[in-house]
Amino acid sequence: MDVVDESDALPEDPSRTGDAIIEARGIVKRFGGAVAVDSVSMAVPPGEIHGLVGENGAGKSTLMRVLAGILSPDRGAVVVDGEELKAGDTRAALEAGIALVHQELSLVEEMTVAENILLGSTPTRAGLIKTGELKRIAAEALDEIGVSVDLDEPIGRLSVALRQFVEIARAVARKPRVLILDEPTATLTPTETDYLLDMLQRLSRRGLAIIYISHRIPEIFRICDRVTVLRDGRHVDTAAISDTRPQDLVDQMVGRQLALDLQTHRVPAEPGAVVLQARGIRAPGVDGVDLEVRAGEIVGLGGLVGAGRTELVRAIIGADLRSAGEVTVAAGGRTRRVAGIRAAVAGGLAYVPEERRTDGLALTMTVAENVALPNRGRLSRSGVLLFRKIADFALGLARTVGLRPPEIRREVGDFSGGNQQKVVLAKWLGRRPDVVVLDEPTRGVDVGAKVEIHRLVKDLADGGAAVLMVSSDLPELLELSDVIHILRDGRIVGTLTAEEADEKLVMSLASGEATVAA
Amino acid sequence: MVATGTWITQPVAFTSYQVTLGRIALVGLVALGLTAVILMGELDLSVASTLAVAGVVMASIDNLALGIIAALVVGLLIGAANAFLVVVVGINSFIATLGMLFLLRGLAFVISDEEPVRLSNIDAGISFGKPLIGEFTPRILLFIFTFIVMHLFLTRVRVGREFYAVGGNRQAARDAGIPVRRRIFTGFMISGLVAAGSGVINALERTAADPTAGSTVLLSSFAAAIVGGILLNGGRGSVFGTLLGATSLGILQVALTLSVVQVDVQNIIIGSVLFIAVISDPNSIRAVSGSVRSFLRGGSVLSKPSVDPKEATNNG
Repeated sequence: MDVVDESDALPEDPSRTGDAIIEARGIVKRFGGAVAVDSVSMAVPPGEIHGLVGENGAGKSTLMRVLAGILSPDRGAVVVDGEELKAGDTRAALEAGIALVHQELSLVEEMTVAENILLGSTPTRAGLIKTGELKRIAAEALDEIGVSVDLDEPIGRLSVALRQFVEIARAVARKPRVLILDEPTATLTPTETDYLLDMLQRLSRRGLAIIYISHRIPEIFRICDRVTVLRDGRHVDTAAISDTRPQDLVDQMVGRQLALDLQTHRVPAEPGAVVLQARGIRAPGVDGVDLEVRAGEIVGLGGLVGAGRTELVRAIIGADLRSAGEVTVAAGGRTRRVAGIRAAVAGGLAYVPEERRTDGLALTMTVAENVALPNRGRLSRSGVLLFRKIADFALGLARTVGLRPPEIRREVGDFSGGNQQKVVLAKWLGRRPDVVVLDEPTRGVDVGAKVEIHRLVKDLADGGAAVLMVSSDLPELLELSDVIHILRDGRIVGTLTAEEADEKLVMSLASGEATVAA
Repeated sequence: MVATGTWITQPVAFTSYQVTLGRIALVGLVALGLTAVILMGELDLSVASTLAVAGVVMASIDNLALGIIAALVVGLLIGAANAFLVVVVGINSFIATLGMLFLLRGLAFVISDEEPVRLSNIDAGISFGKPLIGEFTPRILLFIFTFIVMHLFLTRVRVGREFYAVGGNRQAARDAGIPVRRRIFTGFMISGLVAAGSGVINALERTAADPTAGSTVLLSSFAAAIVGGILLNGGRGSVFGTLLGATSLGILQVALTLSVVQVDVQNIIIGSVLFIAVISDPNSIRAVSGSVRSFLRGGSVLSKPSVDPKEATNNG
């Protein structure tokens, strides 16, 4: 550790843990072949707010789920007050005083505020719920965080922000000694965020140890005493906040060699006419966005999870409702308004969603059948499918996308994630789309398949398609995009060309560390 | 709504309330047990067969008290077996209990030798069919008793209350330390026990246990629960709703019978009521009208006001 702090009583070295309440020792967690958390150690003493930062997929949430006993680590241990906690046991963790406020809200909509606050630890006498005490404890917890809400109101009727506070009250009601919050401000407005941060500082002054995960660097600097950076599942650094600059954190979070990624950058073809044009798009999570994509151009959408990127593309193509805004596609000498997704697809648009397993593929159908789905018109006569034609068509596409093995009669579910994604792309390639919208095209895909998918995307653009791509993978975003829009809170907060964009700049804009585009 | 309509057109359904109540109690009791399972997002298709097996088991034992106990134990065991298949083996509850439906129905025929089994103590059966308190027969009293117990269980008892959490957000329930598997076991055992109880009551009233008993009860009891506003995905519903559902359908059926409406037509009407009940549910009415509208407009984009979280926020 490169930080030495003489004045502070807090241990700067995570291995020196004399007065820590909670300690992670060499935690390793794998999912299948992928290592999500790789030998990470950290320790938090009482009264400290400990920031935990890292890019999407750095392993922050996984580590916290291990601490809370939801996941069982493959190696390493969670130690509370010097005693090893039973691995993967939620109850043991709760009893040891560890409370986790989840990123996804985990409340039961049909139950009341009071019942949710004490879910799993409802006070009872002989099995009967003690309603008076239930409400008293719930009211105390809400009091402690200074939020007033009707205890008998079903959760389903509360706003998202209020639910977030109920979730925190629920953690506080368990009288925890360690409070873990995973991106609690993602859905909050600035005022609500202020309120939450003040509240956390109050709680920490009473001796609570708080682990605070956030993508928003300013929040980290406002409330945290120390901060730990994770990257690709590994511990990068733990330092006192007073010895850290915002730029350092971003550097440590990103920390890749940029030259490598720039090598493969496509030489952008002469951009053609504007094909996809979106104006004033508003939808849940999207707050007024204008953008355009030209023929042969790849436009990337960067930003953090929850910034509204997926919501934006779904609103643009008409897959989800939009409350305002107009989208047009100009292709083949005609300009059409995009209303619903069906009409959009009929008009030459291809959409590859984020959740390919649920949204993009019929896993129990064969490769040939999947590929034929959006091309039924050409592959049938009078409504009867022409199997010979489908086979030829599918085989040709399988070769183009490099499907391995190129067996078009196998069920899609039998293929690896990367190959499944190739099938999704093949499905749309067959239509020679004018507009291609990709959402996280290489998530969960191995490196080899990733390179091939990148090649396909570039080929699509070189072939004249207008490509709009959402990606949380920074090198990918930088490698493929000709123009990058960075979203935060449903708005475009910066637009960078391929030449001026680099990982640090994108990350700074996405996290709100920098506010003006360079 | 149905009740009022019936009041106007067929007051007879209310004056011959004993018939009506009997009908409600038959379907409603099974539906009450089902409610426990459906609340957790699971299904139990084996209830009608459980009813038959329990009746046959009871009638096959000469001692009445022993027979009743044996029948109820069989119900609990069937529930436990269902839960075992769902929770431990990991079979989808629709499939697990569908298998059980066939298996138990077959078993009822084997035990009874394919003949209705007469109760050895016929007097007990005859007195069971007579009004006990006021005009209420024991069947109706037992139904009311079960309703009260189930209502208290699901609103006042922690284990029952947690059924809502298991059905509403299973991951959240697990994360909160609720033993989800145990709750599912409990739910299926309640359903099995109540179904077996219905079998016992049925056999007592008829003074014989018929292996074919209850074959119409299965779908009617599901209909009662659904008309009562339960969500098949779990998490939403109440025994009070189920009671209302069973009551509405019961009154409707008796009224239709009294108006000499043919059974086929009755079924058509009950089916329609089921649709109307589900569609007119205030929680689904918006979703339904939205999807119908977008279907009619050919999937065009509808304007929908975005939700402003600030509106309902109260930062104390």
